[in-house]
Amino acid sequence: MLEGLDAPYLTRALAAGALVAVPLGLLGCFVLLRDLAFFAHAVGVATFPGLVIGAALPGVGPFASALAAALAFSGFVSLGERDRALSGGAVTGVALAGALALGSVLLVSLEVGALPVERLLFGSVLAVSDADVARSAATAALTVAVIGLTLPRLAATTFDREWAAPAGGRGRAGDAALVALVAIAVVCALPAVGSLLAAALLVVPAATVRVLTERLAPMLACAVALSVLEMAGGIVLARVLDLPPGAVVATLAGVVFGMAAALRAAAGRLALEVAR
Amino acid sequence: MTTATEPAVRASGLSVSFAARTALEDVSFELPRASFAGVLGPNGAGKTTLLRALLGTVTHSGSASLTGRPAYVPQSGGIDPSFPVDALGVVLMGRYPRLGWRRWPGREDRRRAREILGQVGLEREARVPFAALSAGQRQRALVGRALAQEGDVLLLDEPLTGIDVPSQEVILATLEAKRRAGATIVMTTHDLVQAARVCDRLLLLNRSLVAAGTTSEVFRPEVLGRAYGGELLVLDGGAVLLDDAHHHHDPR
Repeated sequence: MLEGLDAPYLTRALAAGALVAVPLGLLGCFVLLRDLAFFAHAVGVATFPGLVIGAALPGVGPFASALAAALAFSGFVSLGERDRALSGGAVTGVALAGALALGSVLLVSLEVGALPVERLLFGSVLAVSDADVARSAATAALTVAVIGLTLPRLAATTFDREWAAPAGGRGRAGDAALVALVAIAVVCALPAVGSLLAAALLVVPAATVRVLTERLAPMLACAVALSVLEMAGGIVLARVLDLPPGAVVATLAGVVFGMAAALRAAAGRLALEVAR
Repeated sequence: MTTATEPAVRASGLSVSFAARTALEDVSFELPRASFAGVLGPNGAGKTTLLRALLGTVTHSGSASLTGRPAYVPQSGGIDPSFPVDALGVVLMGRYPRLGWRRWPGREDRRRAREILGQVGLEREARVPFAALSAGQRQRALVGRALAQEGDVLLLDEPLTGIDVPSQEVILATLEAKRRAGATIVMTTHDLVQAARVCDRLLLLNRSLVAAGTTSEVFRPEVLGRAYGGELLVLDGGAVLLDDAHHHHDPR
């Protein structure tokens, strides 16, 4: 049953998966705490016009074009949400609709033909290239460095932006940097897990840890560890069960979240009983 | 270089507009060092905007200046109470600006934060999650965060609103101790009784500065009436505010 688990392609998949999981787990905590789950979902899908251009212009390549599309999308959302009347996901929704419409028009006008939609949405961690692994490693290092250097600022501005602003918290610059970092992490995760599963991995491990901890530092550390474990566990389980790895990773993450939520609810009931 | 006689807070011709609405118009005043100023006025009078203008976080015309380092307690409405942080962590955030936002608080910062938690009566709640604290305890933690900034001018936006009386007393005693140590306190409030009791200067706003001075100068029915209008019921030379159901007090 466990035959073939040491195959080189699987080792590469595990390495790629773990490297993708580190930034997604880390950034997922702030995605959750800042209510950016919709943005996290949208930014992956909004790479669509970039991927079309990448397919039409082989010299550009899908990574560069998808990254450009994601960063443009992030910049638009960052600028648009400065207007409080448009906050709460309205700008993200409008930008996402625009990106999908643009992608559809480009698909026809550039005569690209059919794109591998399933791979765009769900990725293929078993088919990642050395370049994909290298980009994931660079993104993981960048994310750890940025979060490590800016954690006090990020924590303070996330908790209380009004207080942090006059104290030098630079909330808007932090917002822009965070959404740009999320965009880079999602684009680097596309070959391995696709746009839909990248969003899931941004949100679900962080949400799982959030229901079990009340402090930020343990939340960050545990979200990264859980993200890596779920990714690796899902890839191995998918190999054993002969199922698509992305779907198994997402299902595993969902099951673990359900167990954590049930555990928290049971602990709450027990505390009430003890109090009585 | 600052001098002992230089005002701690100075506003000159201060005006703030949001789109077509004027929030503050031509406000001028000075507050001496180590004063405890109450900023009063009905809802929408521009109290919060005045604090933001003094801090430089809203675009304004005219001038606003603070002598020394500011510390701030904004209204708690913008805070996500479920954020994963405990009371000690909240107070430690006050050290971040002093540390340059990149260094982590060290042992001395933690010692100082625990000392401040003691001052605001939260020494036993140091490791209690912010979400599990009562409204009064949360407000005390937020005041503790401002104390950890070790500012020369403390600006507090309705720090006493919606919290229990013991917490109000702890906060006021802490602020008075800070004032005695030389800091200048500027506090917005709807509570005229508290303001009369603890403040030695009052600023009465209604988009412009209606009056500034001592309690006896400002707490006169004709002066209060200019700010609160028909929302004020005058009784035997005293006054009862009717503008806000949860701030219904006799100021005498």
